[in-house]
Amino acid sequence: MGTKFIKTICPYCGTGCGLIIKVKDGVAVATYPDREHPVSRGSLCIKGWSAHEFIHHPDRLTSPLLRKGDAFQEIPWDEAIPMAVDKLRETAAKYGGDAVGGLSSAKCTNEENYLFQKLMRMAFKTNNVDHCARLCHAPTTVAMAQTLGSGAMTNSISDLAGAECILVIGSNAAESHPIIMGEIYKAIDRGATLIVVDPRKTAVVQNAKIHLPINPGTDIPLLCGMMKHIVDENLHDEEFVKARMEGFEELNEFLQLWSVKRAAGECGIDEELIRNVAKIYAKAKESAIIYCMGITQHACGTANVLAICDLAMLCGHVGKEHSGIYPLRGQNNVQGACDMGALPNVYPGYQSVSDSAIQDKFQKAWGAELSDKPGLTVTEIIGLAGKDIRAAYIMAENPALSDPDTSHVLESLKAFDFLIVHDIFLTETARFANLVLPGSCFAEKSGTFTNTERRFQLLRKAIDPPGNAKEDFAILCLLGSALGLDFSYNHPGEVMEEIALLAPAYGGIRFDRLERKGLQWPCPDSDHPGTQYLHKDRFTRGRGLFVIPEHTPPKELPDDDYPYYLSTGRMFAHYHTGTMTRRSPFLNREVEEAYAEINPEDAIHLDVKDGEKIKITTRRGSIITTARITKRVSKGCIFTPFHFTEARANMLTNPVLDPVSKIPEFKVCAADVRKESQDD
Amino acid sequence: MVVAVWSDKLIMLEKTKDIAKQILEEKKSDGVLGLMKSQWDIVQPHVFEKPEELDALVLEPKWLLAKLSMSILRSSPEDYRLAVICRGCDERALIELTKRNQIEKENLLTIGIACSKEQAAICLCDRPYPAKLDAGEIASGVDPFQDERVREFLIGNDKKRMEKWANVLKRCIKCYGCRNSCPVCVCEPCKLEDDVWVQRGAVPAEMITFHLIRAFHLSDTCVACGACQEACPVNIPLLYLQLSMRKTLNEKYGYEAGLDPERKSPILSDFLKEPETGREYPEWINSLREKDGH
Repeated sequence: MGTKFIKTICPYCGTGCGLIIKVKDGVAVATYPDREHPVSRGSLCIKGWSAHEFIHHPDRLTSPLLRKGDAFQEIPWDEAIPMAVDKLRETAAKYGGDAVGGLSSAKCTNEENYLFQKLMRMAFKTNNVDHCARLCHAPTTVAMAQTLGSGAMTNSISDLAGAECILVIGSNAAESHPIIMGEIYKAIDRGATLIVVDPRKTAVVQNAKIHLPINPGTDIPLLCGMMKHIVDENLHDEEFVKARMEGFEELNEFLQLWSVKRAAGECGIDEELIRNVAKIYAKAKESAIIYCMGITQHACGTANVLAICDLAMLCGHVGKEHSGIYPLRGQNNVQGACDMGALPNVYPGYQSVSDSAIQDKFQKAWGAELSDKPGLTVTEIIGLAGKDIRAAYIMAENPALSDPDTSHVLESLKAFDFLIVHDIFLTETARFANLVLPGSCFAEKSGTFTNTERRFQLLRKAIDPPGNAKEDFAILCLLGSALGLDFSYNHPGEVMEEIALLAPAYGGIRFDRLERKGLQWPCPDSDHPGTQYLHKDRFTRGRGLFVIPEHTPPKELPDDDYPYYLSTGRMFAHYHTGTMTRRSPFLNREVEEAYAEINPEDAIHLDVKDGEKIKITTRRGSIITTARITKRVSKGCIFTPFHFTEARANMLTNPVLDPVSKIPEFKVCAADVRKESQDD
Repeated sequence: MVVAVWSDKLIMLEKTKDIAKQILEEKKSDGVLGLMKSQWDIVQPHVFEKPEELDALVLEPKWLLAKLSMSILRSSPEDYRLAVICRGCDERALIELTKRNQIEKENLLTIGIACSKEQAAICLCDRPYPAKLDAGEIASGVDPFQDERVREFLIGNDKKRMEKWANVLKRCIKCYGCRNSCPVCVCEPCKLEDDVWVQRGAVPAEMITFHLIRAFHLSDTCVACGACQEACPVNIPLLYLQLSMRKTLNEKYGYEAGLDPERKSPILSDFLKEPETGREYPEWINSLREKDGH
């Protein structure tokens, strides 16, 4: 057998870069960048270059596993599938379909997500389907749908290079979305102004013209102060507001509460700087706003996004090239998992489960009775384990590490009557399962991922799954069929044809049309070329709507007992719960252990040296980790990445939720830090 | 004119196909590495093993294959022979790799193709053709030092240039793409993975210990193919870092990497045997020049 090169898509972040996997004798041996890819154009970040490294790791699951006491026993598929189906049916018969919960996956393909939600909705007549978008961009989907009518990035990644002003709020794109950062540099090289709002001095900040190191959780005061100045000085786009917007009077009235002086006081930024930044953003011919978890992971996450939308619309920086609003999606297919209706309140294409006409459409198409009651979210499904939710099916999600307040999550995972976990490794979550189903990684299957710029892209199978593991698509078809559903699909492409029939925005998506460069939705019919930017002449909802962003400070602020701000996030060499990256030798070499960033002044105060162990404690729990002394964090703030199982950042985080989108407040809580004595 | 250009390209493509087919038919090699355009116009590297497959061969875009050739040869049986369709820079990289015992000369065949004038301008290439040219016409190259942006980075006020370099190098996201894509970057273990020089887990990578070690390691092997720069996600002009050293080797020693398969690099050979002993410090070694003045 010779050497083959297979083009496919990176399994890490939402940028959706093009990879070429080198396959030798059925083994994925190397990864190269795809020169022809429309987004990454021959570049990759360190994770992309290492994408093949975890694929053949000896820890891969190769057989279904059944819990026997404290141990797992390998069982064949023809026992595993009937058992899964029996247990789920039993639960539904005894407690009702709403006692079953499903977590779908932003790591899996569109087709798999579609089948997952279809299975849950059809077989159990429940809408208890959600996935980790709840933990990253739930506020985006809600707030952007409310203001613009569509909860997705308005423009395209390549658009950024032409922007005159780029405002980055709460995104460390240089580490979390490095290829998108490259587009920002292109803009800078053409003379664009980069303004960064971030309490930390991230790598993005180091390349910015202006840095606004706001107090954590004061994004709304800053944005409102900017808007107030813009309206006062008539810097807004009056014509745009008149022609295309509604709700300006109400917004303007609300802004009266936010003098620049008050804003400055709240966020700890000089008044003049706020005015200056407001002016640069408003006056630039094309301004883009990039934001990420620093905006969404707050108890006021939805209001934060509303404020961003308001600012962009006020200045007319939406609906044209090189401008717009860029929520950077975290997971490779978190956009797609949302699009495919792996959410408790909508069917594929964001069609409400409570709308009777929509319900009718899906009932007819699927030939089953469906529930019109919105289901439960990720945190609710886990939180109600053993109570309202008796059995759960978790596909390629790792709440044991990713959800806030880990101690409670672990208790919950034990509380299910029956837990099925479908994954590629025995994750921290899978260890709690009654039944484990071995799935496939990105290189072992076909299907589509949708990146952060709404681009459907083709994933091409390079190798077979290991041992008796199966393609996720095949597992879902087996489960569906065993549940008596007509899941007789031969290929993911057939699933896409069904999706296209049911969700108008994806009506023109077909596998053969995606081969070369993919297609950006909306793409309503088979001649439609896809959409580079949204809201061109009219907003998806008709007129754009200004919605008042009410500010609520973080729910837990530093006090005498817990005097530090704690923030969590990602770093460049690892990805999320580390399931894949920590099993990639090159990435693991780069960062082998957990750490927390701490300001030099605080380090002196705490008598901690670089590399020494510290104990971080919050009201939820504590972890021991290694101190990294750096001015990247300001005095009084600590930051720790959440990739590490041995020092789980989410032991510490506050599970308080944004009331609208139900996202937890990962970005701010109060913590205490102590030097950990060596002999402990 | 456009028609003429296209037909020239077509002639080159057809000729390349014929040569490659002949090589496979006569079993001179087990595979031909080139670019394949499959259905839906997807272009990617491919090892052609059957003559009839070669109908799908294309020569554009510029896609460097030297590093892939080495990796294919290394993971294949000892007697596996590979023919590579290569541009000038690819050929020079392959020559460097054989000189440094990374590739067995006997296992490698090259099918040399010429680059267009336009491609040479994009690459700032002064020699857009291989020594063993099999298809295509030689186009004129460009002198990189006439390029305005190159001059900004390499010529003139030291302080300004230092600032310029610091500004672009601090963008580095430490993807290792420059190293990974460089066809002649082959040291094992790699100095960029040595804790003495490069701190783990920190971005941006340090200017001196990461970027300059990398640049100097390649000072006499760099063939100026530009793979590093093309792979860089944050647009650092990495090729420029090499140009001064290449120029100096050329001017002082008449040496250019990848040209003469028999000639050792002046850095590795006996200085006295070199045509010029290099007593003069090259202009760009600023710190040394200053010392001279003292």
